[in-house]
Amino acid sequence: MTTTPPIVSLRDVHKYYGTYHALRGIDLDIGAGEFFSLLGPSGCGKTTLLRTIAGFEDLSSGTLLLSGQDMAGVPANRRPTNMVFQSYAIFPHLSVAENVAFGLRRRSDLNRQAKAALVEDALDMVGLDGFGARAAHALSGGQRQRVALARALILKPKVLLLDEPLSALDKKLREQMQNELRRLQRHVGITFVLVTHDQEEALIMSDRIAVMFDGEIAQLADPQTLYRRPTSRQVADFIGVMNFLPASLTAGSTAASVEIAGLGRAAITPEQCPAGMPSGDCTIGIRPETMSILFDGEPAPARETSGQVHELAYYGDMTYYDIALDGVEKPVTLSMKNLVGRRVLERGETARISWDERALIAFAK
Amino acid sequence: MKLKGFGTSDTARGLTLIAPPALFALLLLAVPLVAIFAFSFWSQDFLTIDYTPTLKNYREALSEPLYGQLILRSVLIAGAVTLTTVVLAFPIAYFVSFHVPANRKSLWIFMITIPFWTSYLIRVFLWKVILGYNGVLNSTLIGVGIIDEPLTFILYNANAVVITLAHAFAPFAILPIFVSLEKIDRSLLEASRDLGENHVMTFLRVTLPLAVPGVVAATLIVFIPTIGDYVTPRLVGGPGGLMIANMIQTQFLKLNNAPMGATLAVIAMAIVTVISLVFIFLNRRWLKARS
Amino acid sequence: MTGRGGWLRGYAVLYLLFLYAPIILLPIFAFNDSTIIAFPLSGFTTKWFTEIPNTPALVRSVQTSLIVAVTTAVLSTLLGICAARAGARYSFPFKTPVMGFIMLPLVLPEIIVAVSMLVVLMALDLPLGSWTVVLGHTLICTPFCIAILNSAFGNLDVSLEEAAFDLGESRWSTFRLITLPLVMPGIISALLISFTISLDEFIIAFFLTGTEPTLPVYLWGQLRFPQKIPVVMALGTILVALSVVLLTIAEIARRRGIARAGGKDTGGFL
Repeated sequence: MTTTPPIVSLRDVHKYYGTYHALRGIDLDIGAGEFFSLLGPSGCGKTTLLRTIAGFEDLSSGTLLLSGQDMAGVPANRRPTNMVFQSYAIFPHLSVAENVAFGLRRRSDLNRQAKAALVEDALDMVGLDGFGARAAHALSGGQRQRVALARALILKPKVLLLDEPLSALDKKLREQMQNELRRLQRHVGITFVLVTHDQEEALIMSDRIAVMFDGEIAQLADPQTLYRRPTSRQVADFIGVMNFLPASLTAGSTAASVEIAGLGRAAITPEQCPAGMPSGDCTIGIRPETMSILFDGEPAPARETSGQVHELAYYGDMTYYDIALDGVEKPVTLSMKNLVGRRVLERGETARISWDERALIAFAK
Repeated sequence: MKLKGFGTSDTARGLTLIAPPALFALLLLAVPLVAIFAFSFWSQDFLTIDYTPTLKNYREALSEPLYGQLILRSVLIAGAVTLTTVVLAFPIAYFVSFHVPANRKSLWIFMITIPFWTSYLIRVFLWKVILGYNGVLNSTLIGVGIIDEPLTFILYNANAVVITLAHAFAPFAILPIFVSLEKIDRSLLEASRDLGENHVMTFLRVTLPLAVPGVVAATLIVFIPTIGDYVTPRLVGGPGGLMIANMIQTQFLKLNNAPMGATLAVIAMAIVTVISLVFIFLNRRWLKARS
Repeated sequence: MTGRGGWLRGYAVLYLLFLYAPIILLPIFAFNDSTIIAFPLSGFTTKWFTEIPNTPALVRSVQTSLIVAVTTAVLSTLLGICAARAGARYSFPFKTPVMGFIMLPLVLPEIIVAVSMLVVLMALDLPLGSWTVVLGHTLICTPFCIAILNSAFGNLDVSLEEAAFDLGESRWSTFRLITLPLVMPGIISALLISFTISLDEFIIAFFLTGTEPTLPVYLWGQLRFPQKIPVVMALGTILVALSVVLLTIAEIARRRGIARAGGKDTGGFL
């Protein structure tokens, strides 16, 4: 726990649009210098929350503090935040340099040279040096995004808000920009708050992620915790791929044991039940990479079962198998690295499956 | 998209903005329309107006055959103009939308609209010149040898009114149909052909139904102003081609009978509204019946 | 598509001929040395054109028309900006009926507008003059301005204004620095179109004009004198040329505006 106070602080924030309850009691602290993500499906309220921090939406109730100051009644143009819009909102009738310098217009303490120097630095920082004289409407999507970043960062805001900045880019560019944003944030040291519906993106870039459903925060944690210890089935299902199997749990004196359909019996610890230990009928979650296909000659593992290959998808570096287990209606997904010498199974083949009982997560039914 | 968070009371800001045009329309449109309605119930003797409410104007309008004739003629002429204009406009709108490359479309539209940004008065007068006994059309036809005697049925009657108005309102019909056709997703036509229909059937089953909103708009945009036109019947209509607007003007400025003029205006407006609503209603029914 | 395009193209050419037929006659007879408008032609002359500045009543009516048209253009564009912006960005009670009512003059025959305004002026015993014509013209031009500006404001991305605000500008400076420049082509179009409509408008001017007639009203008076017709032709030629120039400017402005905002040309004001 750091001693510096959080830079963004939300307490019991509610937002109504008419009768529609868009934000239901949000409590959130974002620390200085964090790369923070708001993650969730469309309509979960993440963009509303971002716009509330920016000042484009008013709170219906609750408090919002930025650097400890209450933002009630403070309009968006007076807040220490700046936003990168989903459409980038580059002013088409201005040049790149004029766009980047736009927020400096009111800075009477800076003369023309000082402003020009700041613009040059900002463009340098986002990898667009020399682009200053270009017309804004002649830029590609990736270039526009960098101009939007430069334009926001030149004002040295306390918090940079990004509204799905990468959703308009194609896959290769998106991956490239994910790395660049991460690097930029570390270089600049400013708090970034990012809104995205892409869980992979959030996992790659963030220090911490708030997963939102229906206007509420379902879980707030760092990427690893979110992936390994999801606190609800909904979160588990949203982050990565998760197999769900019906099971029955019997609590013992020191530990508990579960009987899982299609897999067998295993021991389970309290840490593997992030939402509390259920009893009786429950659901077990297991990630695809924690199960493995056993080839001939490999030593027998601790836990083993068998199944039939129902479907497979070859990705080049990995193969994803849908395996039908005994007594389980829905096939489970299992991923295998395509190592040299390892063959790819065919549809209909029977296979021996090993699974790791430490990877199980228990949810209530 | 609505603007949010620029401060409080979005609604107040919206109301302040709409206030000037709304007030303007209220004072200069609502009040006069009410006034003309009121006037139709009064009477005028030379220059003094008698404000006692009376129905005598309406009684006279409905009983005197001259007025009924005039209104009927106006409706028929407007109907003929609308039919001609819309039917002639459709092919050219279709041509520009489907057979002209995208970068040339605005040029064609521009060329189509140029003639109409010139003085309407002068255009009507030019048609009088063209259609006259010694006019351009007759002198050309005689000179070329197609006819020996000048044609008389083309001027100073309802025919001349129809021709002139069809010319005047052409772009009003072309543009809405064009916009409607432009909106049609071309892949729908490709899908229809892929499913086995030929060009003609694709046109009838896909293009035409989707163009209906444009055709309806074109019909109303032509019909409504045409029925109230003054200049064309006056210049080229002769005694048999006069329309209701001419009578309204006569009542106001020649006969000093503003109430009667107002009555005729109210009746004309009522008829136009009824016809338009019936047309729209029939259209909705037809569209629903197809789906 | 070439086979089917064939007869359609022929039709289109014929149709264009029909549209341009009266206009083409204007310069032909404006330079024709005869007071009778018929073929065969009599010889080239420019005397009709030189007569124009020598007719004081004509010159005065041109001046009146210009004043009325400029005033109408400015007024209806201002009202159009208010209405289009309110419509595109805000919601308020009774929005649809109010907007619909403001657009009503588009579907009213002009004679109704002229006559009903006349009735009110008569009842209030107000004098007729250029100002009454301006009011009438503004009433019918505002809906056109709104239609043009609606698409201009509609094409403007809201996030551009939000971005400017986010970067520290006030509402008014956002409007001045971002909204206005991007909507300017639409404003110019609206000004030019309402100017042209007002310049050419006859029936409202006919009913509401005072002692100083506008150009169309003056022309109306001249049409019954055969010897004045060629001068009318000459004037008409000038008006056509002027309208073409104005409209070309409007079209160029519109295309420039689209290019600036990085959009695509869909063809025409609508």
